[in-house]
Amino acid sequence: MKRIFEHPPEQLTGKRYWRSLGELSDTPEFRGWLEREFPAGAAQLEGDDWSRRGFLKLMGASMALAGFGLTSCRRPEAHLVPFTKSVEWAIPGKSLYYATAMPRRTGAIPLVVTTHDGRPTKIDGNPLHPASGGATDAFAQASILDLYDPARSKRFVEKGERDEGGKKKENFEVRDRAAFDKYLGELRTKIAADGGAGLAFLVEEVHSPTRERLRVELQKLYPKMRWCVYDPLLTEAQSFATDMSFGPNVRLVPRLERADIVLALDNDFLDCGDGDIAAVRAFSSRRRVGAAKDTMNRLYVVENRYTLTGAMADHRLRCPASQIPEFALALAGKVAAATKDAGLFSTIATLKPFGGPGTKSGEEEAAAKFEEEWLNGVVADLVSKPGASLILAGSHQPVVVQFLAYAINSALKNLGTTLLVREFARTPKTNSIIQLALDINADRVKQLFIFGGDPVYNAPRALTQHKETKAALDWIDLQKMVPDVIRLGHFEDATSAISRWHVPAAHYLEAWGDARTSEGAYLAIQPMILPLFDGMSEIEMMNALLGAPKAEGPELVQETFRASAPPGEFATAWSRLLRDGFASHIELKDKPPTFNSNNAGGVAHTLWAPAPPPTMDSPEIVLVRSYAMDDGRYANNGWLQELPDPITKLTWDNAALMSPAFAKLIGVRTGDLVNVSVTEKTLDPAGNAVKRELVIAALVSPGHCDTSITIPLGYGRKHTGPVGEEAGFNGYLLRTTSNPHFIRADGKTIDNVKVTKAGGTYPLSITQDHWSIEGRGLVREATIEKYREDPEFVKKIAGDDELPAAIPSLYSHPALDAPQQWGMAVDLNVCTGCSACIVACQSENNIPVVGKLQVSHGRAMHWLRLDRYYASEKPFNQDLGEYPENPEIVHEPMMCQHCENAPCETVCPVNATVHSEDGLNVMAYNRCIGTRYCANNCPFKVRRFNYFDYNQRPVGKKEILGVSVYQEYLGPLTTKGAADTVKLQKNPNVTVRMRGVMEKCTYCVQRIEEAKIAAHVRAGASNNTRIPRDSFTSACAQACPSDAIVFGDVNDPESRVSLMKKQDRNYRLLEYLNVKTRTSYLARIRNPNPKMPDASRIAVASLGQGHESLEHVSADREHSKEHEHTEAEPKSEEKP
Amino acid sequence: MANFFPRWSNWLPLKIAICGVVMICGLTAGTWYYVTPKYTRVGYQPIQPVPFPHDIHVSQLGMDCRYCHSFVDVAAYSNLPNTQTCMACHTQVQKDNPKLEPVRASWKTGQPVEWVQLHRTPDYVYYDHSAHVNRGISCASCHGQVNHMPVVYHAKPHSMAWCLECHRHPENFLRPETQITNLDWKPEHEDVGAFIAKYGQPAEAKDDWSKKPRLTQQEIGQTLKERWNIQPPLNCQGCHR
Repeated sequence: MKRIFEHPPEQLTGKRYWRSLGELSDTPEFRGWLEREFPAGAAQLEGDDWSRRGFLKLMGASMALAGFGLTSCRRPEAHLVPFTKSVEWAIPGKSLYYATAMPRRTGAIPLVVTTHDGRPTKIDGNPLHPASGGATDAFAQASILDLYDPARSKRFVEKGERDEGGKKKENFEVRDRAAFDKYLGELRTKIAADGGAGLAFLVEEVHSPTRERLRVELQKLYPKMRWCVYDPLLTEAQSFATDMSFGPNVRLVPRLERADIVLALDNDFLDCGDGDIAAVRAFSSRRRVGAAKDTMNRLYVVENRYTLTGAMADHRLRCPASQIPEFALALAGKVAAATKDAGLFSTIATLKPFGGPGTKSGEEEAAAKFEEEWLNGVVADLVSKPGASLILAGSHQPVVVQFLAYAINSALKNLGTTLLVREFARTPKTNSIIQLALDINADRVKQLFIFGGDPVYNAPRALTQHKETKAALDWIDLQKMVPDVIRLGHFEDATSAISRWHVPAAHYLEAWGDARTSEGAYLAIQPMILPLFDGMSEIEMMNALLGAPKAEGPELVQETFRASAPPGEFATAWSRLLRDGFASHIELKDKPPTFNSNNAGGVAHTLWAPAPPPTMDSPEIVLVRSYAMDDGRYANNGWLQELPDPITKLTWDNAALMSPAFAKLIGVRTGDLVNVSVTEKTLDPAGNAVKRELVIAALVSPGHCDTSITIPLGYGRKHTGPVGEEAGFNGYLLRTTSNPHFIRADGKTIDNVKVTKAGGTYPLSITQDHWSIEGRGLVREATIEKYREDPEFVKKIAGDDELPAAIPSLYSHPALDAPQQWGMAVDLNVCTGCSACIVACQSENNIPVVGKLQVSHGRAMHWLRLDRYYASEKPFNQDLGEYPENPEIVHEPMMCQHCENAPCETVCPVNATVHSEDGLNVMAYNRCIGTRYCANNCPFKVRRFNYFDYNQRPVGKKEILGVSVYQEYLGPLTTKGAADTVKLQKNPNVTVRMRGVMEKCTYCVQRIEEAKIAAHVRAGASNNTRIPRDSFTSACAQACPSDAIVFGDVNDPESRVSLMKKQDRNYRLLEYLNVKTRTSYLARIRNPNPKMPDASRIAVASLGQGHESLEHVSADREHSKEHEHTEAEPKSEEKP
Repeated sequence: MANFFPRWSNWLPLKIAICGVVMICGLTAGTWYYVTPKYTRVGYQPIQPVPFPHDIHVSQLGMDCRYCHSFVDVAAYSNLPNTQTCMACHTQVQKDNPKLEPVRASWKTGQPVEWVQLHRTPDYVYYDHSAHVNRGISCASCHGQVNHMPVVYHAKPHSMAWCLECHRHPENFLRPETQITNLDWKPEHEDVGAFIAKYGQPAEAKDDWSKKPRLTQQEIGQTLKERWNIQPPLNCQGCHR
């Protein structure tokens, strides 16, 4: 029977999935992105009058002329250069793997680094250690590019005469290590003269036991020295609250795998970029459902902006960040009433909520009522699971919130079960940057060592007042007061520019070291390569300052390790440490959890400062960590700059995030510039109120709190290198010591906060509409209840169940007859959208960075993209002033689906893309002539075209005719060729593609082939050439912290991917096109609490209310369909 | 009116046509022959810093290929010997031979000897030595009788068509795993009884091969292909990634 298939109709009722406000209101711009594979004009040369055709004519003529000369017709002579002497372990062409660790603010991540011929090329997690479990985050993946950054500091620099005799002449002299050592020797005698009274250190938090040991030794030598730890995103609040509540030297370790109910108060614990991959793994272990009978945890999130955690939430409440204390207090009150816990009562006894003006508008009343009901629902749920719930407060929330969270956890009996109190030695005698500023201002600091960081850029503004003029002093002013400043930095940045000495810092892949994980385990850091630019590590510098002989190898770390008393012979223990990457003999101790409510209550009472909630007229400004730049340390990292923000999909910039309602109020749209001005109560010497202003682009972000503006930090950092210097706006300019995380008109230090339209626009490269696919059941979700009612619900979406099971293909396809067939499954239920997979793919597959302008043209090269869908109950008509204020978010990783009936293959005129017998849709770059037919025929829009030679002409500042111009691509005008160091990073097993070539996800074919070859070598003269089950995986699957992506042999019924695909949540995209994708998705399941006021609108399946009507239709056809199913069973995609 | 065109011009178009056809055919034939790796690569014999005589080392002294190319069976690349390997013998043997001066200099200075590359695959080709030499393909199949070369030269074309010749019909080249580095091996050298006893014979072969006086390459190859489950990739991804 002939059947004509039409695209399944879009549901008019029920839930809608959309990517942007543009899609919701169906703007022409969005239609453009949707209907075309490449946007209009994507094939045009940018910014001049030439058409591509004209350019080709001209180039053709020059090529023809060049041909007459018959140049380069000789065979070039190449040389093979073996080693002189054998190098231990080195086999040319074989990669070696070393265990090491990446130091981070909250604790190090154990890693395994792949090196090829002595150069590290890829970073992965250390599967032996639970702190990573083999997974990584985007920062760890991208840090390898930092190692090879050609803009890294390469030289010792001494600054000559500074500001003397009225002459502001500064001369920078390039020195070498010997000159620095000589200077350091002289400095040591100066320091020793007064016992180190003038000596100060400003360092970042790296959790290195060796650095701590050397600090103690320095302290012995120079007893009066100061040690100051400053990290802009590290707060004292949490550690202070922990000290008060549980005693000194402890750290709280959440055990998310034991928690049934999790409430996150402005806590983004699923952001593994903060270093805690174990938390993501633990959370997702309770999120995963194998079958309808499985249970899952429930996540409540209260936050002002959409975070990764908020996107995973079952219930999410928008609340200004500065109102979290009030919320926590209300929560504590209700929990106390429900549990009758004396400790909690005593903690909150004296705390009173803010008594604001009594009159409320109807809307506010409704909001307050909703919030009240919401809170009641949460409390009832929490109380019902004593000892199996968990309340987590954001680390940047004030001390009071931390106390309240601990007290509530204690009342709910979570201490010791879901929240452990772990012994964790902290550095005593640590000063804050404010104390250091006071000392500098009082001329007590003569020698200052700055390790890493960039305080000129990221220190709080107005650290102290000048002792005479009373003018506010920023770090830049303070640092100039110190005569001897020695800076150890990765870049010659703003801080180095005003230091006496700048010393290049060694990357963590270049130096010996050690570090602790966030839970306290001891990790070794070993160098993969000698310092590329002669850099020094922190511990080397401290060792030199001690006057000890130069450490050539791991002696400094060995000494620390020896002190930990490893069992057995030391040399063996040391080798074991390096092999495993961690010391297993150091046991982590938990303390009995006793919450000191008296202490907590007392301190909370003095610190409690209720304030009026922010309003639309005077919103709060929330300064947060950027998902791509961290605190700005990755500013020159092209991979991270180009990584779309997981929520906003913004690349290369930050922006002021605001809700649609707020944007409407001040009359701005995404890309318009807004003026953020903060007027303080303090007066400058002239008697005017201090005013801090920042002009920044606005970005309308659905799901954002209406009375709050979020500005990600880490952008606008000039002086790092050509990649990042034009990117974004510097949020640190608004940051002061009294308001480091959120700024609101509290009536004490801040008079008012104004956000107004500044006029003018700023080009933002947002990828949310790029590669859009019309919604035909692409993302599917349901509540767990719906899932239990109907485990087969995914099959009823987009008419999948109405399709005959075997549709014949028009084309003939080669047989898929290899014994092992590759496939992938993506579990949307545990995908947090963290984007580690994108960077892992970029690192593994030599994917170039294209630059902001190219991204805006839709030419980003990422093989793997993360589609972020907003989901809301109904369509909105923005013309009528309707805005989706609180949508949900679903993330969907999208890469080549490796269709068995691939539409791209049938249109390639040169057979450059064909199918292999093991089910891969392969791409032969050297055959591709760049017609782009394949991409136009791809229903998933996953093919990427090299419009330019992105590898040969990298992004950044270019010298053109002696003038330096910031432009991503100026074709033949710029010099060709990437920096040598960047070439070192490339994976030698993947072709570096050139201009005019199509590319796409290959399922990491190099890894498949490597595994195959290894199996063949192992087989030798025998016939067992089978690759062992799940013995390798693709780069994205390897990096995924929540194991959402699983890759393997779909022919093997016991492989992990086959087990995933067997689940009833499994579905394939655009099934009705009969493309037979090899990648399938597992539907998202949410676990809302039916007693919550918003329960009815959460994850109401992709079918929503339309479900019933569709069911009627499908019921009619039930008969014939079942018949077809049975007869087609053997041919279905899961091969027996 | 006089004839504008003389009589001989009647044949001119035909002559031009014939001439054109000949020229085009000649050009095509010339390109066909001369601009292929068969002509451009085969026979390439660059001057090496040391004219290393493979014939003396292998045929006269009986050294195995893997003494110097030590990682050929574990890695994708067949490594060149480092100076240390050369000097292991040449501190004793031929230690004053002037031809060995570059090697001795390298040993003294630590600067490696720069050998001129002979066999060169394009960057987008990922050839793996270990996958071949462990699975019955001899060095000689791709590099020729290196054991008889006083100075090594390019013996085979190494074009894609040439690779596929073997990938389509591996039985024409397979040999027992013990004979991989025996570059002089011929199928007729194989002891029929011992071979059949060790490897058996293909299932579809009707007659008893052990009765044969000698085995052909096809028979040996067919046996090994079946026994070792040899299925060379014919797809792009086998070599291009």
